[in-house]
Amino acid sequence: MILDTVQTLLNGLRRSLAQPSRTPRMAVVIGRMLAIAFLLCFGTGIYSHFLQDPLPWMVFTTRPVFLYQLTQGIHITAGILCFPLLLAKLYIVFPELFQTPSVKSFPHLLERASIALFVASSIVQIVTGLLNTYQWYALFPFPFRQTHYALSFVIVGSLAIHIAVKLDVIAKHWTKTRSEQESRVEPAPRVEPAETSPRVEPAPRVEPVETSPPAETALVSTSSTRGSGRINPLTSSPTKNAVDRVEGVTGRVFAWIDKTPPAEPRTSRRGFLAIVGVMSAAVVALTAGQSFRVLDGSNIFGPRKQGVGPNALPVNRTAKAAKVGEKATAAGWALTVSNGATSKSYSRAELLAMPQFEVELPIACVEGWSQTATWKGVRVGDLVDSVGASGGVTVRATSLEENSSYAVMRMGPEYVRDNLTLVALELNGEVLDLDHGYPARMIAPGRPGVLQTKWLSTLEVL
Amino acid sequence: MTSVAVSPVIRRWRIALVVVGLALLALGGLVLLNDVNPKRYLGLAAWFLGALIIHDGIISFGVFGVNTAMRKAGRRVPLPVLLILQGAAVVGALMALIVVPEIAKKAIGTGNATLLPLDYAANLGWFYVVLAAVTAVVIAVYLAVARARRART
Repeated sequence: MILDTVQTLLNGLRRSLAQPSRTPRMAVVIGRMLAIAFLLCFGTGIYSHFLQDPLPWMVFTTRPVFLYQLTQGIHITAGILCFPLLLAKLYIVFPELFQTPSVKSFPHLLERASIALFVASSIVQIVTGLLNTYQWYALFPFPFRQTHYALSFVIVGSLAIHIAVKLDVIAKHWTKTRSEQESRVEPAPRVEPAETSPRVEPAPRVEPVETSPPAETALVSTSSTRGSGRINPLTSSPTKNAVDRVEGVTGRVFAWIDKTPPAEPRTSRRGFLAIVGVMSAAVVALTAGQSFRVLDGSNIFGPRKQGVGPNALPVNRTAKAAKVGEKATAAGWALTVSNGATSKSYSRAELLAMPQFEVELPIACVEGWSQTATWKGVRVGDLVDSVGASGGVTVRATSLEENSSYAVMRMGPEYVRDNLTLVALELNGEVLDLDHGYPARMIAPGRPGVLQTKWLSTLEVL
Repeated sequence: MTSVAVSPVIRRWRIALVVVGLALLALGGLVLLNDVNPKRYLGLAAWFLGALIIHDGIISFGVFGVNTAMRKAGRRVPLPVLLILQGAAVVGALMALIVVPEIAKKAIGTGNATLLPLDYAANLGWFYVVLAAVTAVVIAVYLAVARARRART
């Protein structure tokens, strides 16, 4: 009895939720865009991860200098784009949540569980990713970076399984022409008639809602079937799906819903796509200026704004937050450069007395914002040479900062020997601001901001 | 699986994808075990469950309700006009989803003047004004075009 009621409810929901935009073809169209966005996020995220935690054999390219700015900008922008795309995809397949029987077999249970995992991890990933750009860590009862990294594999793994499960549907509806042909050929999924009473809604044996324009008209029986015990096949229109179900409160609610004026399929589908397009364009146009200068003018919702900050540049971690103010401004500050037993200390004045080089390099944060700036200072190559290092060497840089996982940074030879890699003393024509790493900081091409170590204390040749 | 009879090509791809997927899931699980303290798993599970409840239980039904109500209320309104209105509502809601947490975090405080430096509440207000204006213009243009078409026929 209870099972019957639940089944009736699920069937009713599934029928009433049908919409012209809820078709396998639409799921494929939006799904592949979402898959591309996920894979872009995954690829750029993995690149960012290994830049920060490289495997011993890894060597990175330092050109183009904007490479990390580009990859991390894509990571964050594609992540924001996932909001409209994921919501649209979930909207399309929402009726599938109410399929009956809820579990048909063990593989079906696994399939549904994998989808639940896929959906939950995707939502958690993009929401926490967004909140991370606002640095709202207090909301997470888990560490952001590690969880974000682990979930990325869970999501791409679930995506692969989801594509595998739906591969035949994806193949059928990959192109519009093929999708229409398939819909013409496929037999209409029929709903079995009720066995006991016309008023008891039976379980429909239905596949995902199939609705292409020709199939839609072909599928639909007329109202003559209503109330006769025969029930229409499931289509994309709740009105056409309607059955007599005025019994009880839920029956009345469904009857009320079913009498809603139907949406014309073609217009409805085009409207849906247009809405997704406008949403996607809006979220990108109004936030991506934090990463891409060309969109700075329309950046009204990005958590960072180009040119806003000391030295006309945003700051990720302030001197106050890093608790380095006193040590960084102490008169006795010196940068110690060592190579085995050889060691030299350079005051800021001594560093300024060395050959100075000016470079145009972007600072690109893992949180996605980035900005190109003019940096002036001493080449790291010259500093390591001054302590007798030769050829390709790795350097360990240490910050005055304590209790930070980024206080110590390793820099491979590809960066150390790059002429653009500086110990910067000036930024945008001014003395380096305390929040930007005064008295001296690292700047190298193509690395995440967290590796552009601020408030330098020592450089060790390894 | 959604279909029983599939071509050998699809079957091969399917097996390959499932193997890759399971390997990646296992890797994700290993990373989680290695890098995240087990004390945090409950919190993560709560977020997972919360995500499903908020999306499937609240947002989706909310959208369904609004969609049904709009179509009920707009019986005599042409479908394209209804879709334009629905589109504007959806765009506005999505932007709120992204910007309201920004406004809240800024109100709480960031400890860094360059993080969330803009007046997001005012910007969201202006965005809605522009959205309403654009929606009105698009509806007006649609109605004018539809009238002209009817006049021609």
